[in-house]
Amino acid sequence: MVQLRSLFFLTVGLATRLYARSSTGDSVLVIVEPNKQDNYSVFFDGLKEQGYELTFRAPKAEVPLVIEYDVPSFAHVILLASETKNFAKDITPQSLVQLLGKKTNLIIALSSKQTPLSSLAAEFSLALPPPGTPLVSYFPEREESPQVIPVSVQPNSIISSNINPVWFSGVPHSIGNNPMVVPILHAPAESFASETDGGSPDALVDASERGGEGLWAGSQLGLVTGFQTLDNSRVTFVGGADVFSDEFAQKEISKGVPCGNTAFARDVVAWTFQETNVLRIESTTHHRVNATEPSEQYTTNDRLVYTAYISKYDPKTSNWAPYSGIKDLQLEFTMLDPHIRTALLPVSGNLGKYSVTFRAPDRHGVFKFVINHKRKGFTYLTSSMTVPVVPPRHDGYPRFLSAAWPYYMGAISTSIGFFLFSALWLAGDSREKKAKGHKAE
Amino acid sequence: MAPKSSTPASTNVVQTLWKAYSDHTSDRLKFIDAFLFFLMLSGIAQFLYCILVTDYPFNAFLAGFASTVGQFVLTASLRSQVNPENKNEFKEISPERAFGDFALGSIVLHFFVYNFLG
Repeated sequence: MVQLRSLFFLTVGLATRLYARSSTGDSVLVIVEPNKQDNYSVFFDGLKEQGYELTFRAPKAEVPLVIEYDVPSFAHVILLASETKNFAKDITPQSLVQLLGKKTNLIIALSSKQTPLSSLAAEFSLALPPPGTPLVSYFPEREESPQVIPVSVQPNSIISSNINPVWFSGVPHSIGNNPMVVPILHAPAESFASETDGGSPDALVDASERGGEGLWAGSQLGLVTGFQTLDNSRVTFVGGADVFSDEFAQKEISKGVPCGNTAFARDVVAWTFQETNVLRIESTTHHRVNATEPSEQYTTNDRLVYTAYISKYDPKTSNWAPYSGIKDLQLEFTMLDPHIRTALLPVSGNLGKYSVTFRAPDRHGVFKFVINHKRKGFTYLTSSMTVPVVPPRHDGYPRFLSAAWPYYMGAISTSIGFFLFSALWLAGDSREKKAKGHKAE
Repeated sequence: MAPKSSTPASTNVVQTLWKAYSDHTSDRLKFIDAFLFFLMLSGIAQFLYCILVTDYPFNAFLAGFASTVGQFVLTASLRSQVNPENKNEFKEISPERAFGDFALGSIVLHFFVYNFLG
């Protein structure tokens, strides 16, 4: 029955060709317990409809390997086996980090059970509460258990703005200070992490007496958090795999209002699998102000022009379009320290082109044009071009210095005076000789 | 003559000195002295500019100053060799030879000055 349904969706998807494609590849490995696989059929069908090719694997199965001979086998990996304690040999926290280093994107589901993946989350500055303490909230009043919580979604750069509240069940985590962490969904203010059997109210009372110390509660807890590594691969930690489940996707938030689980899952997958917020620098050039080609070397105090072309990936058309929307791009002209730090502004009328003109500093040496643009949720842009800056050649200096004119005039007047003097002296000499000659005669 | 209002003694001394100088020096020597005076003014002007304003192209200052000083020295030695009162000191050097030495030395001096002026 389910196979038929997925077949139907596949054909519909192929027929209508409405998909948003990832910029790094379409092959996805889904690691999920086989008996739970059917719980996520809506989610998987949505992925297939978008154009991803899913490969399913049980956590303990030996094939297909995630990474083979240092080459990742898939472009993206989804780990929905949040309760499995024993994985196959090639799925370890170290191998997952290695995958991230090779530009593979991950979605990792956590649970209140202690698995090898819980320690992995700590490496990304996300601290999990003690094992066996899922998120609990008694507000708003509802028929579901206190561990199934409707969470309202705040729009940010990753989540679009009109998503209905999302059903969540799982563990929260506290978000550390790392600037590469991108929070996506925060816990509701009235929720807290506690043991499932209700725990002891004494624990709560003790914690509140100590000013909340030891109590995992409040909206500062994250439920779904992303992380973008320096290689620009993205990993999202989801507090519970039930966010993607069919049961939650079909549950209504209130009478007649569907929940936002499918749309939320769509947006999370779009960000994590490099569809949205993906930028890249197409090319950079530099040249002197009146030239068009870059020079081998520049002279101090030259006026230089630096240009960068930046594009953004458009998932709907699957290609890179020039993008002029970065308002705070910055260029540094660096030799050990940035000598020049200036804004790289978009050129109006030329989409995707950013340019700046500046004067090379009065120091000679080997400089670098550095772009280092890191913003939460967007691809990190880094670029560096090395260029030598030499002092002026011996004939590159101004010929006559205006400060030295008195000395020039002094030397010239001395020469003129000397010539006039000797001319008049000799004239006087010949006049004296004539007079002497006349006298002698 | 009625005594002057300012210090009569010093004014009289300067006047007497000047009168003696202009009566007893020949015209050609006065001509050399005028040239020497002009060179001294030029040198002092350049030196004051260097101290008060800037010595920025120091090589230019040295060249201009050395031009005036060197020319002064050469002209002074011409004056002493050409002065008829010194005839006994310079027996082998005729006035023409003195002038020739003066001219040659000046040419070489100007060559160096323009090279160093930058």
